[in-house]
Amino acid sequence: MASVWLAVLALALAGPVPSALARARWPQRVPRAAIVLWQAIALAAVLAAVGSALAAPEELLRALGPEQRRGTAMVVAVAVAAVLAGLIVLRLLGVLLLLAVRTRRRRARHRDMVDLLDRAERSALVGGAGAKTVLRVLDGAVPFAYCVPGRAPRVVVTEAALDTLDDDELRAVLAHEQAHLDARHDLVREGFVALHQAFPVLVRSRQARDAVGLLLEMLADDAGRARCSDTAMAGALEAFLATGDTEVGARLERVRARRCGGRALATGTYLAAAAVVVVPTVGVVIPWLSVALPAAGVLR
Amino acid sequence: MALGELERAVMAQLWAAPGPLTVREVHDRLDRELAYTTVMTVLGRLAKKGVVRQERDGKAYRYVAASTREQLAASLMLDALGDVGEDRTAALVAFVDRVGPEEAAALRAALQAAPAPTGLPEVPQPRTDGEERGPES
Repeated sequence: MASVWLAVLALALAGPVPSALARARWPQRVPRAAIVLWQAIALAAVLAAVGSALAAPEELLRALGPEQRRGTAMVVAVAVAAVLAGLIVLRLLGVLLLLAVRTRRRRARHRDMVDLLDRAERSALVGGAGAKTVLRVLDGAVPFAYCVPGRAPRVVVTEAALDTLDDDELRAVLAHEQAHLDARHDLVREGFVALHQAFPVLVRSRQARDAVGLLLEMLADDAGRARCSDTAMAGALEAFLATGDTEVGARLERVRARRCGGRALATGTYLAAAAVVVVPTVGVVIPWLSVALPAAGVLR
Repeated sequence: MALGELERAVMAQLWAAPGPLTVREVHDRLDRELAYTTVMTVLGRLAKKGVVRQERDGKAYRYVAASTREQLAASLMLDALGDVGEDRTAALVAFVDRVGPEEAAALRAALQAAPAPTGLPEVPQPRTDGEERGPES
């Protein structure tokens, strides 16, 4: 039964659960905890799928009766299980590796170009005192700000953004970007991008990726609010609202409403995250192992 | 002087120039004490990065920016916006993840305006040494 339970769990964690969580509004009140929950769900889904693949042949065989359990049949069963589980794991690792290489190459390239294009006279003015990260200013008519994560990070803003934002708002934006860099939000994103690339269909990996992306922005917004003020962060978001990003609307509304998580909600979310990973392991995998291993002649 | 700053200064000269420049011309335009070979090295590095093209002119090489400053800036912005659809690599973390159709159109227009000699780039790719394009004869 373990393989069936794990398969059901994997399907639930790959489909309806992410869909519901992506639609829910409460995660936006506790972005950090919600991101951990998303990660737990993704991890549990992969583990459950792998576990199901590993358990299925063994259980099938055990159902057949004690005589067939030895010898060739056992070897075939184990091989099938290993291949199935291996496919899932290898696919994910392969995509992750490829993505990591491409991401770093593109990033290095981007950093080179940004360094070449920097309006040094303006970036020196803004980034001067106490800036933690090298700031680059691009000319351009679209107000825009972003960061290039990595070992030599850059925060990039356009001249249009400098012209639009007042000092407080600019500080809030820089604090926002610095929060992305300090907490390595890019690595979190990379994980979900990889998950989506590895399993683009059947699984609600796109919702997961986009929801986590938005939560990361909100987390960084909170850093901006803490470093500067709600007003400054809201002002900055307002300035960027004109660019037509629909997510900015949601973030602005959240900052304006001073929506902020209750401690209880955060704790509950963390507990749910832990439960998603621990409960199936304790409830299904360990009971299965305690039957399967002795049956296979291990642990006798 | 930092190499990055030097590269920036050389690019500024190439962008400001009406046409391709020789190493000597770039050297003379740079208002600082630099060895000729240093300028040559910097131009070589920039060519390798794909932002500068070498053109043969008789015996000498001339150097020209592969795209205008505005084009390069616009292509960087599009790159930052992940304007490549599903091909997100999470390379960058943008404050705004998408811009509206108007802004995107403006950026694309900037890319196409004043077509650079090459046609034009996304973010220009570095040339690998194996397939080094020889000077156009």
